[in-house]
Amino acid sequence: MIAEAAMSWEVPVGLEAEVAQLRRGDLNALAALLARYQNRLYRYLLRLVREPATAEDLFQQTWLRVAERIRHYDSRRSFEAWLFAVAHNLAIDNLRRIRPESLDEESSQGGAAVERLVSADPPAFDRTLSRERSVRLAAVMAELPVIYRDVLTLRFEEEMKLEEIAEVLGSPLSTVKTRLKRSLDQLRRTLETRFPGEDWQ
Amino acid sequence: MSEHDEIRDLLSLAAAGALSAEEEGRVARHLRECTACSAELEGWQALAAGLRRLPTPQPPAALLERVRASVEWQFAAEAEQRWNRGVLAFTLLFAWTVTLASWPIFRLVSGDMLGWLAPGFGKLWLGLVGYTVVAWLTGGVAAATLAYSRRRERRVA
Repeated sequence: MIAEAAMSWEVPVGLEAEVAQLRRGDLNALAALLARYQNRLYRYLLRLVREPATAEDLFQQTWLRVAERIRHYDSRRSFEAWLFAVAHNLAIDNLRRIRPESLDEESSQGGAAVERLVSADPPAFDRTLSRERSVRLAAVMAELPVIYRDVLTLRFEEEMKLEEIAEVLGSPLSTVKTRLKRSLDQLRRTLETRFPGEDWQ
Repeated sequence: MSEHDEIRDLLSLAAAGALSAEEEGRVARHLRECTACSAELEGWQALAAGLRRLPTPQPPAALLERVRASVEWQFAAEAEQRWNRGVLAFTLLFAWTVTLASWPIFRLVSGDMLGWLAPGFGKLWLGLVGYTVVAWLTGGVAAATLAYSRRRERRVA
């Protein structure tokens, strides 16, 4: 799997052109990149900081930073990994300022913001069982330490390869792998304790 | 640690698609013989599938508008900065050209006057140098003050 991932990253059609246009200060390119990444980037930030207002602020800061540094971006690197690395660094700086102790220790909060992490939509009238499971899963995930939430969302929601995750986090591949394993172990342990016998698919 | 325990330890990463080719091979071989590990892997795969299916929250439309507006403003500010730098470079070049050219022109035009000023030639030359230095220093301080106050205004805005 890792051997496969070591192959060059595929660049989505049009992305290269959009990045080149943004370098020239083309606002249409920004609109195209925003449309391409808005949901994923916002979701990623929300998973990290858990507060919609903070995620919105960081979302805006991320794009401003991208516009400011796009001329220094090395086009041989994956744009996606670079974009998420910018967002990651801003989010971690923000968390360090607000709660310096929460970056590598288990956080106790999460319950209040959890519903907002799942979806901004109002609760559906006919909420399905699988949606309830998703809500519970998101709730437990939100209680994990940020370094675990980070790697879980990048791997499973953003579907990034381990090499890309390592680039986003600025960590060695072995660290990413260890962190991914620990985060899954902790997530499953918590789920089994809180909701025994539940099928999480 | 037995082979069984080692494989069991790899199952979460197997479900996450994060094993090396060699590890994948070992896991696949073991799963053919071990039903307990097959069931364990299914549990991990269910969890992985659940994580992939978490609903995606949408950013508010107003936020996207705000981002577009702020980036547009930033691009405009950068363009203005580039223009200002160009104008400043041109002005500097022009001012130095005028300064350096003024002395030979002055001599050429005022040949008689130079004779009249001959006793004070040394003082005149020093005066010109002094004037140039003071003028440039004043200009430099004024430009730096203006740039600083403008940057501060921008930050406040």
